[in-house]
Amino acid sequence: MPDFFDAYFAQQIINGLSLGLVYALVAIGFTLIFGILNVVNFAHGEIYTVGAFAGLLLIVGAAPPLLAVVLFAMAVGAAAGVGLERLAFRPIRRFSDEASLKSRAMREATLLSSLAVSIVTRELMVHFFSGEMQVIPQAALLQEVIAVGPLTLTNGNLFIFGASVVMLGGLQFMLYRTRVGLSIRAVSNNVLGARHVGIDTNRTIVATFAIGSALGAAAGILVGLYNGNIFPYMGFAPGVKAFVAMVMGGLSSIPGAVISALLLGVSESVATDFISAGWKDMIAYGLLVVTLIFFPQGLFGHGRERV
Amino acid sequence: MTAETLLEVTALSRAFGGLRAVDDVSAQIRKGELVGLIGPNGAGKTTLFNLISGFTPPSSGTVVFRGRTINGLKPHQVSRLGMARTFQNLRIFPNMTVFDNVSVGAVGALGYGLRHGFFGGRARAEEISARTWAALERVGLAGVAGELAANLSYGKRKYLEIARALATDPVLLILDEPAAGLNDTETAELARFIKGLHAEGGTILLVEHDMGLVMSICERVMVLASGAKIADAAPAAVQADPAVLEAYLGIADDEEVA
Repeated sequence: MPDFFDAYFAQQIINGLSLGLVYALVAIGFTLIFGILNVVNFAHGEIYTVGAFAGLLLIVGAAPPLLAVVLFAMAVGAAAGVGLERLAFRPIRRFSDEASLKSRAMREATLLSSLAVSIVTRELMVHFFSGEMQVIPQAALLQEVIAVGPLTLTNGNLFIFGASVVMLGGLQFMLYRTRVGLSIRAVSNNVLGARHVGIDTNRTIVATFAIGSALGAAAGILVGLYNGNIFPYMGFAPGVKAFVAMVMGGLSSIPGAVISALLLGVSESVATDFISAGWKDMIAYGLLVVTLIFFPQGLFGHGRERV
Repeated sequence: MTAETLLEVTALSRAFGGLRAVDDVSAQIRKGELVGLIGPNGAGKTTLFNLISGFTPPSSGTVVFRGRTINGLKPHQVSRLGMARTFQNLRIFPNMTVFDNVSVGAVGALGYGLRHGFFGGRARAEEISARTWAALERVGLAGVAGELAANLSYGKRKYLEIARALATDPVLLILDEPAAGLNDTETAELARFIKGLHAEGGTILLVEHDMGLVMSICERVMVLASGAKIADAAPAAVQADPAVLEAYLGIADDEEVA
């Protein structure tokens, strides 16, 4: 049994925080989209994978600096998000009257169409790149060890920390200090109210998909390079974890999702002290079940006003 | 000289299945008018309203606003042409501050392209802020600009929604049953407020259930019954109109008067 303040434990906390930040980046995409459309985007995990593959292709092709790789992955992710919205969400969306806004059928249809896009995308990647782990050039890996006293960090930890904090800060700035952010919050609060004072809801929704997907794609490439594995099925596990974080956070609360994601990352990481690593996914599912039973509004949710 | 016609509705109809909710309605609103639209429950007021504001497409007929045919335009496009509305069941943004609620109106009216949405446009940012403060001052909510909208009283939320509409700098302001849920004192205050807006040159269409309010402040009243317009005249003339009396009194027996 390790002493609670030993280096190993501190190490696990640090690993857990970087894992949690990645979950947070993915969870934000889920949360933004849920907030604005009231639907779960089941293709979000594939955006993460697409980001990783886009970054890898750029590395293999041109070997640019890491910042360029991340920005490229974000751009491709944003474009993929816009395409996803066109393909799976817009054709089914009807904001024309009150009844359709509340329609369960519409929400369920979107759920299936996004799932369909997710499966097709994943299988296309398997077709073109095979289902195997991709070979990543050694120089691009973020596994360079940096010793800080008794702790062993990698440059991947630092990059994930830095990039996530910058992106989370940027997101808050965007939501609270720009007009696009104001529109996103307005549409999330009340679609019809926003439409009738001149807000173009379709454009606002597209912007939301682009932003959420860019963050998810950034997480994909960072994790791919940190763990050293990029493969078509890589989006599933973080997708599920991010979904859990969103539910724990109260479905449409970004701070709630971020805190829950960090909690989840740290719990998983620390739990490997006590249980075998193969069981660590139990933590996420366990927390999900506990949340749904005891905190149906989420840990940070306050009764969401329905349109 | 008659003032310029702002809104002209011609032979407008909308059917839902077999039900003709709005049936061949023609009407116009001139600049500077304060017009009331009344009718019993189910008369088609809301549908007419939705047809005008671009919410529902008409089955036939045209809506011309400021010389442009606007059927088929989306609500945000109609709004940008200068038509603002409030809602009977309020549609404010509860989780945003009072200030942000109103500034959405200014942002919506001024547009927010990629360039202006994220960066630059300092002059525009200042204009948005100025418009927002002006609208808040006008309805008397400037003192609570930093509050969450959800924390306002029901009466104040109504004014918040009006402020949001005013921030779009509308040419025509449509108020959908603003007196619903207000007590007599509040209704009287609202009447003074609407008259004030009108006195400042605002063109207002007031869709109302409260006959007293409409008759006391409007210059002209249109009456809808079963989807058709049955009267369009000064309040006194409308009140004496046998067709109106029948439409209202004929159903008064089995319906509670609101």
